[in-house]
Amino acid sequence: MKEYLFKNARIIDPARNIDELGSIGVSEGKIVAPESLETPEIIDVGGKVLCPGFIDIHVHLRQPGNTTAETIASGSKAAAAGGFTSIVAMPNTNPAADTAGAIELLRRTAEKEAVVKVLPCGNMSKGGKGEEMAGIGSLKAAGVVAVSDDGKCIQDHALMRHVVEYAKSFDLPILDHCEEVTLAAGGVMNEGKWSVLLGMNGIAGASEELIIARNILFARQINWKIHMQHVSTAESVEMIRRARAAGIPVTGEATPHHLTLTDECVKTFDTNYKMNPPLRSESDRQALIRGVADGTITVIATDHAPHTATAKLVEFDHAPFGIIGLETAFAVCHTELVVSGVITLSQLIAKLTTGPAEVLGMKNYSLACGNPADFTILDTDLEYVINKNNFKSKSRNTPFDGRKVKGAVTMTVVDGRIVFRNGEII
Amino acid sequence: MNSYAQLYDAEQTKQGVRLLAEQIGRHFSVSGNGFALVGIHQMGVPLAQMLCEELSACGKTPDFGQLDITMYRDDIGTRNMLPRIHETIIPFDVNDREIILVDDVLSSGRTIRAALDALTDYGRPGLIRLAVLVDRGEPEFPIRADFTAFKVSLPPERKVVVKFEADEISPAGIFDVNWHKNN
Amino acid sequence: MIQWKRKDLLGLYDLSAEEIIFILDTAAEFKKVSERRVKKVPALRGMTVVNFFVEPSTRTRVSFELAEQRLSADIVNMQAQASSLLKGETLLDTVKNIEALQVDLVVMRHSAPGAQNFIADRLKCGVVNAGDGAHEHPTQALLDLFTIREKLGGFKGLNVSIIGDILHSRVARSNIWGLLKLGANVTVAGPSTLVPREFEELGVRVCHNLKDAVKDADVVNMLRIQHERQNSGFFPSIGEYSSWFGIKSATLQDMKPEALIMHPGPINRDVELAGEVADGENSVILEQVTNGLAVRMAVLFLVAGCRK
Repeated sequence: MKEYLFKNARIIDPARNIDELGSIGVSEGKIVAPESLETPEIIDVGGKVLCPGFIDIHVHLRQPGNTTAETIASGSKAAAAGGFTSIVAMPNTNPAADTAGAIELLRRTAEKEAVVKVLPCGNMSKGGKGEEMAGIGSLKAAGVVAVSDDGKCIQDHALMRHVVEYAKSFDLPILDHCEEVTLAAGGVMNEGKWSVLLGMNGIAGASEELIIARNILFARQINWKIHMQHVSTAESVEMIRRARAAGIPVTGEATPHHLTLTDECVKTFDTNYKMNPPLRSESDRQALIRGVADGTITVIATDHAPHTATAKLVEFDHAPFGIIGLETAFAVCHTELVVSGVITLSQLIAKLTTGPAEVLGMKNYSLACGNPADFTILDTDLEYVINKNNFKSKSRNTPFDGRKVKGAVTMTVVDGRIVFRNGEII
Repeated sequence: MNSYAQLYDAEQTKQGVRLLAEQIGRHFSVSGNGFALVGIHQMGVPLAQMLCEELSACGKTPDFGQLDITMYRDDIGTRNMLPRIHETIIPFDVNDREIILVDDVLSSGRTIRAALDALTDYGRPGLIRLAVLVDRGEPEFPIRADFTAFKVSLPPERKVVVKFEADEISPAGIFDVNWHKNN
Repeated sequence: MIQWKRKDLLGLYDLSAEEIIFILDTAAEFKKVSERRVKKVPALRGMTVVNFFVEPSTRTRVSFELAEQRLSADIVNMQAQASSLLKGETLLDTVKNIEALQVDLVVMRHSAPGAQNFIADRLKCGVVNAGDGAHEHPTQALLDLFTIREKLGGFKGLNVSIIGDILHSRVARSNIWGLLKLGANVTVAGPSTLVPREFEELGVRVCHNLKDAVKDADVVNMLRIQHERQNSGFFPSIGEYSSWFGIKSATLQDMKPEALIMHPGPINRDVELAGEVADGENSVILEQVTNGLAVRMAVLFLVAGCRK
């Protein structure tokens, strides 16, 4: 395998609290001391940022089931273009990833076709239906890194309690989509001023908050890790803040869209503003940003949810929930959170690296010698306009097309292989 | 009206109105049901009003009505904007009446075509005649004025504008204006 | 002087006060057309209007059809179920196909809020919203405004109370925008489950007590209560709804003697409105229907007339 020397880089490595100019050596797919290299190809990073590869713990790859919208191959390319070296594939495919066989198929396909690491996640309940527990033990044996019923939420609290207890015995974290269904029934957007104004059915914030409260109770009682996916309301942030302060093992993630957009956007009737949980009010958005800033929210994840143009080009009520996010996440978050001064660049990188790594129980996710050479190079000065037609994803359902941003991913390296460089998949 | 030439001044315009009233008065009597003047919006309405006053002074007071023809235009959907619809008031029964349509300028004849359609939707007049202050002489439809004060011959891209009152742009009178057909 | 420049009428939220007044003025002239023996003008002669109703409707469709006939337009009626559209051809494909037949205007009703906005952005022909979910019903609000102006002369300082299922009502929302723009004070009233506090953020007074809502009202606009709301748990029973929020003869004692009673129809007699009140001196309900025709003629004329 090729050896590389990435020199003249601003190395930001949150796990080791490093932000300094230096060089990184790569040999046999691992990070090595630069002086140990014999005849490396030298890449001058030109003072740009080199950081650990991003991890997105919330991605929908749509394979099997809806390969018109996305495939493992195309989704992984989109990930590489977004600086992600590892992505966690949600199990709500068709058929659902609720058996060892389904996980095995995902792993084999990813091995052949994916350009980044695809980490499987299995269902908590059979078919994600929330009725019976899935074979969590055999899923573990097949290699899942977590369990989740994402897209749906187990309403049967006794079942959920058993799932948490059982998953703990297999050392699998729970990634939960927090939604109480009766308070969300028929809803298409946030319940509030704008749903009232537009005459649309609302999804109450309490729908999310009830389940977050439940999960906090279980996490404390069972003493096991529950990660709250796509947290969207001020009250949810506050509950997680208090739980973490009390030492309860819960974590929370925020998506770039919940951090930057609000329910007012729905007035355009553009279905790229329809996702679940819905875009919330400006005060919720501000609370979410505060949660990111004060460390309550440790993970930024995209909830990359590809849908074809045909599926989305319909009445708002009838459109599917979800937007893609892998290729816009860093630029949007860098512009809205770092350039605007809410958090430092190092903090943003932590939310995209060590934060998700910690949820998955990955130790020492850093650029330390001996670790896999998974890293990302960022040009934090580049200003441009997002153009969805340049996406590697098969889908185009983004609300960020045409948005002016500052900050770009210029290179992505996975196991010492350059997989993305200057806009192209290698 | 950035480029215009005065064809007739205020006094000549007034004389034209009197001339028109005299012609009408010679042909119509107030015996029986009497005749009626119906002005076409916009400038036909004040003109018909003035004609009524002139005729009243001679002891012939006709009925007076006003007609908006916007709903009867043949260019709806082809213009950038529609003109505002003005009030149509026909305060008398038009059946079997002798009616004189009044407009300021006879140009293409399309307005008069529309006015005939509009008026006949109110009933079945016994006779309809047309009085205009200015006849441009080259109508696009086979429509002629029965009473007219001035005959003016101008190229089609020019517009004839009648003003009975002075405003901030020009004095009262009849003008030849450079006209863009798209407004 | 204002002139009409819109190819579509989607809602009153987007219109200026001047545009609303312009429509009402235009409607006043069209009202006279229907009072003549010849109730027809050639304004839309040669134009084709498609009435595309993706939600059942009788009154509104008949009113639009009659308006179109009186404007001399050619008419095609299409009905579809939102559910069948979901399974087969998309809504956009359906209307694109309609447009390909060289149609000039599409009058559309749909159960999804914003469906008409979505369509209008993507069609060259004009779109008139005949009701989109709980979002807007602009021609209904315009006919309500027309009736109020005809009866009371204007809107400035007028107290208008809209009573009923405000949450699910497109009529209420369109009325709120129109009335607020024209300077009226608006109160919305009904059970708290159907009149959430969020309405205050739209600039109206929210009230959960009938007596309080009608006390100072110059106009009381009663909305139809849908029986299925009872099953969804918004209120316990039609009987309880009626006893707390229905207008009865006795309610008139608490009102200004000359207050107008309006209703967009069809009325649930003796539920939201006692029969004798619906038929009483204060009621202008049938005049609303008459005015609806004039308002729809005006709207069709204006949107058809300004196309490039």
